[in-house]
Amino acid sequence: MTLAFLIPVLSFVACPLIILFQRWLPMRGAPVAILAIGGGFVIWVVVLAAFLGASPADTACAINSITGALTCHFSTTWFEAGIPGALESVDQAIHLDWGILIDPLTVVLLGLITFVALGVQLYSLEYMKGDARFGWYFAWQALFVAAMLTLALADNFLLLYIAWELVGLCSYLLIGFWFENPGPREAAKKAFVVTRIGDVGLLVGILLLWVNVGSFSMSEAFEAAQSGALSSGVTTTAAILLLLGAMGKSAQFPFHVWLPDAMEGPTPVSALIHAATMVIAGVYLVARAYPIFAASPEALMVIAIIGLITALGAATIALVSTDLKRILAYSTISHLGLMMLSLGALGWTAAVFHLMAHGFAKALLFLGAGSVMHGVGAHGDVDIRRVGGLRRAMPLTAVVFSIGALSLGGIPVLAGFWSKDEILLEVAGNLPIVFIVLTLLTAGLSALYMARAMFVVFFGPEGEDSVHAHESPLLMVGVMSALAVLAVGFGWIAFDWPGEFGGFGSFVFYGHAEGFHFNILLAVLSIILAVGAFLGAWLVYARRSVSIESWRTRLRPVLRVVENRYYVDETYQWVIDRVVLVVSSKLATFDRAGVNDLGVNGPGHAVRKAGFALRLHVTGHVSVYALAVALGVVGLAVFWWLRSA
Amino acid sequence: MVNFDQVSLLLLVLVPLSGAVLAMFLPKDRPRDAWQFAIFIAVISLALSIAIFIRYDYGMGGVQFAREYAWIGHPINISLDFGLNGIGAPLVLLNGIVLMGAVLISQTIVRRTRDFFVLLLALGAGVYGVFIVRDLFFLFFFYELAVLPMYLLVGVWGSSTDFTLFLRTKEYGAMKLMLVLVGGSVLIWIGILAAYVASSRAGSPTFNIDELVQLQQAGAFSRSMQLWVFPMFALGFGVLAGLWPFHTWSPDGHVAAPTGVSMLHAGVLMKLGAFGIIQVGMALTPEGAEVWMPVLIGLGTVNVIYGAISAMSQTDLKYVIGYSSVSHMGYVLMGIATLHPVGLAGAVLQMFSHGIMTALMFAMVGAIYERAHIRDSMILNGLIKRMGVTTFLFAAAGLASLGLPGMSGFIAEFMVFTGAFRTYWPLAVLGVIGAAITAVYILRLLARSFFGEADPQWANLTDASTVEKGVGTAFVLILIAVGIWPSPLLRVINTGVEGALAAF
Repeated sequence: MTLAFLIPVLSFVACPLIILFQRWLPMRGAPVAILAIGGGFVIWVVVLAAFLGASPADTACAINSITGALTCHFSTTWFEAGIPGALESVDQAIHLDWGILIDPLTVVLLGLITFVALGVQLYSLEYMKGDARFGWYFAWQALFVAAMLTLALADNFLLLYIAWELVGLCSYLLIGFWFENPGPREAAKKAFVVTRIGDVGLLVGILLLWVNVGSFSMSEAFEAAQSGALSSGVTTTAAILLLLGAMGKSAQFPFHVWLPDAMEGPTPVSALIHAATMVIAGVYLVARAYPIFAASPEALMVIAIIGLITALGAATIALVSTDLKRILAYSTISHLGLMMLSLGALGWTAAVFHLMAHGFAKALLFLGAGSVMHGVGAHGDVDIRRVGGLRRAMPLTAVVFSIGALSLGGIPVLAGFWSKDEILLEVAGNLPIVFIVLTLLTAGLSALYMARAMFVVFFGPEGEDSVHAHESPLLMVGVMSALAVLAVGFGWIAFDWPGEFGGFGSFVFYGHAEGFHFNILLAVLSIILAVGAFLGAWLVYARRSVSIESWRTRLRPVLRVVENRYYVDETYQWVIDRVVLVVSSKLATFDRAGVNDLGVNGPGHAVRKAGFALRLHVTGHVSVYALAVALGVVGLAVFWWLRSA
Repeated sequence: MVNFDQVSLLLLVLVPLSGAVLAMFLPKDRPRDAWQFAIFIAVISLALSIAIFIRYDYGMGGVQFAREYAWIGHPINISLDFGLNGIGAPLVLLNGIVLMGAVLISQTIVRRTRDFFVLLLALGAGVYGVFIVRDLFFLFFFYELAVLPMYLLVGVWGSSTDFTLFLRTKEYGAMKLMLVLVGGSVLIWIGILAAYVASSRAGSPTFNIDELVQLQQAGAFSRSMQLWVFPMFALGFGVLAGLWPFHTWSPDGHVAAPTGVSMLHAGVLMKLGAFGIIQVGMALTPEGAEVWMPVLIGLGTVNVIYGAISAMSQTDLKYVIGYSSVSHMGYVLMGIATLHPVGLAGAVLQMFSHGIMTALMFAMVGAIYERAHIRDSMILNGLIKRMGVTTFLFAAAGLASLGLPGMSGFIAEFMVFTGAFRTYWPLAVLGVIGAAITAVYILRLLARSFFGEADPQWANLTDASTVEKGVGTAFVLILIAVGIWPSPLLRVINTGVEGALAAF
């Protein structure tokens, strides 16, 4: 199981190898990245087998007293700073390890990341074909995955933060991959800066925990939080600070603005960001640091509220967006909101389950969108009003995309249905009634916008851009098909099948094993909402037998607000233009005119002026000097006399 | 056979100093010979620095390679005492690396090349001297030896820039740099004399730091004396470290200075200030330090935030980096002022890391300026098209500067935050925010000038020369190596920190 550290290391090594030798490697070194992540996937299978066979009696493994799950831990010293030998005392030194921690959460996450990343990279072989920076693309892909894998494995907060920032860097590099165009350039910058603002919270939270716990080790921090060694004030503050970081990465309101713009990167990158790296880091952090959140009811409530606002707000925007990738992006934000909401509602297992189910479906949908772009020859935006009826030209893409949409829309027996249902249950059971009402509304909207996207693009009348569309190459379709299988069937691992395996909840859980829950009333409600939404969208967008124009005119004012994404981006822009840049330019002027010209040159001028003035008294007339001497003597005499008197 | 350890420190000063003297006799009109000779000297210096750093025994710690050369005996007692501790050792290494880089990059100096290298080597010798000398008289001597050549280097080989709103001539930059630093020296000299006088009163007049520390521990320096002497050191040395509000000489100096000089200026010269505060101020007047540190950490935080916000509005590449240096030296001052082992170790690591990083940035900006004859980031664009390697190296330095994990700046800043969070946590939070602001201006700069479409006027730019690429790549590798494996530096720094904080 120690081999797990190799999973990220392989990809870490691949990155510089490709950068340095891409000129000489076949296919610009892309196979190196694919071999690395493929190797990572194989090792993951080995690690999974080893983990399933491990017992608490093994060295380095034990049942974690907080999560109740089997946890294996390996580490080696990285560096020490401060006064050596004084490590017992928190005050004198810090000690850091390279350490990996393997528990069920890590294991399932590693599976998701390696699988999706492998698929995305294979898909990219075709999608990025002919790009001028083909090799660089795969180098950054490898680094991106490596950083994300490290994040999932890290056993201490500093290592987690390092991986966290590297994930941010790679998203910057990949979103801005086509940096010649202003769109990607700005989007990349935005993604980095916005998440970085959240990271301030994360880093301060880590420092706060260190000051109070005396270690960067996660398990020690969790024990302190659970045992009551931390005051409730510290626990809540630390939880909120960590949450800030998670909100930045997981695109939660009000830090969600970077994610829709992030589609400026190559589409496979979006698939990776939305499904297996970057955005899931935030949800993972909250899930990982759950002992701290669980110790603070206030923090849980904050998560639930932020999750709900994000989920509902993003769902409404997704409903009115006209760009296919933008719809998917807001859908991701909405679903991340649902995961956060679930975590806030003590639905830990449900959140992780939805994270996985959503990951497969969303990767599929983005790759499907990429396939559409590839097929119609679009670059950048895919306006769903200009494409349509693609099912004829791209039948395979139509099928797999529809599977993703149905799964995410919550149509029964597909993966998304089960995971969404679990979240609904947790929200209904643990939070005030208003939450479940709004969550159901979100679920309905989520089905509606997925249905709209699917019906408009693939069914209904042909659009003007669909004329020359053609199906994508086999490799791309193959990757999508593999994901489609999971988008259909992944949900079934939630059940307690006959045999040893007791369902997802018996493996991935917090505190105690979860059985498979099902509430017939909620299930029926959500089925009615989902099926109704798909039926309605079919009537409106595919058959065109129902018109919603009258509704659109009547709701004009509301629509305008939603179409403008609640003016959040505008608000940020205003703050940057009118506050940040103005303050900065004022300060720079102050530094030059105030500090420098007045404070530094000023005394210089004063000295020169004084010299100039004094110069006039250096006349060369002996009489004047004699007078000065005489005055001096008299003055001294008087002084002497006064002192002695 | 002379033992290497006994003469190594003397050699460290003698090699560049004699190099400077010998270079004077080189033919005037053969710039390439002068350059190659300087490289020869720099290589020997670098080799010595590496050897000394490796041979420094971190298990033992304390002052090593000690050697005394008596000069003026009783009753004045000045002697050339060498000795290196765990704080000086990494900085000696830093000076070796940056001096090497600066000499190589100065290939482009064509006017009065010989004289240029004479001064550059003298400067290098002065910096080495400060790091390894244990006698305050000679510390001051080497300090001045490091500072004075700057005046000529900037004034003669520098460049004047017209910013339309205001003009920055090289003479102005050189003069201001000189006057401000000499002003600082005055304060330092007052402090040194005060310590010397106190030692005379105690019956054993000395300039030796270690003896003075012993006297201080025996109670020879009264509390009231320490209270007014420490600010002399903190301010005098602080000026050189870019302490706000005495920082304006630094960005203006950079704008005027030639590339190689900028590299040494930001890379090692500013470190002398921080080094002085630790080695002289804190060591001799710990009680004063303890009282004044809250002020220093406050000013350091101002440095961080103020420098970062100012950098955001700068358009000249050298001003951006100049203000960013002011900001980053703020972390050093913060780390020192925590008086916390982790914070102080972070400050020393930050000195090393910032030295490499800034030198790298100036080298790349120099390469751009050399070709485009302009440094205005509003006019430059799409540099990546023609200067791909330059862009890559500059971006790497920029990422190190915004505290990207995996590069040395992150570990250092993180340690400073750790120490500061223990002692003055609100300032640590401000420091973290400062790092976020850094991300804003670095990324804006990259997006504006480096990425994107290039104007036709930049179609004829050529990428960095082999020498520039080599220096840049080496520096990037150092940044990454230290970021991933900081232990070799940290275990030496840790012993130095232990000594520096023994009195607290």
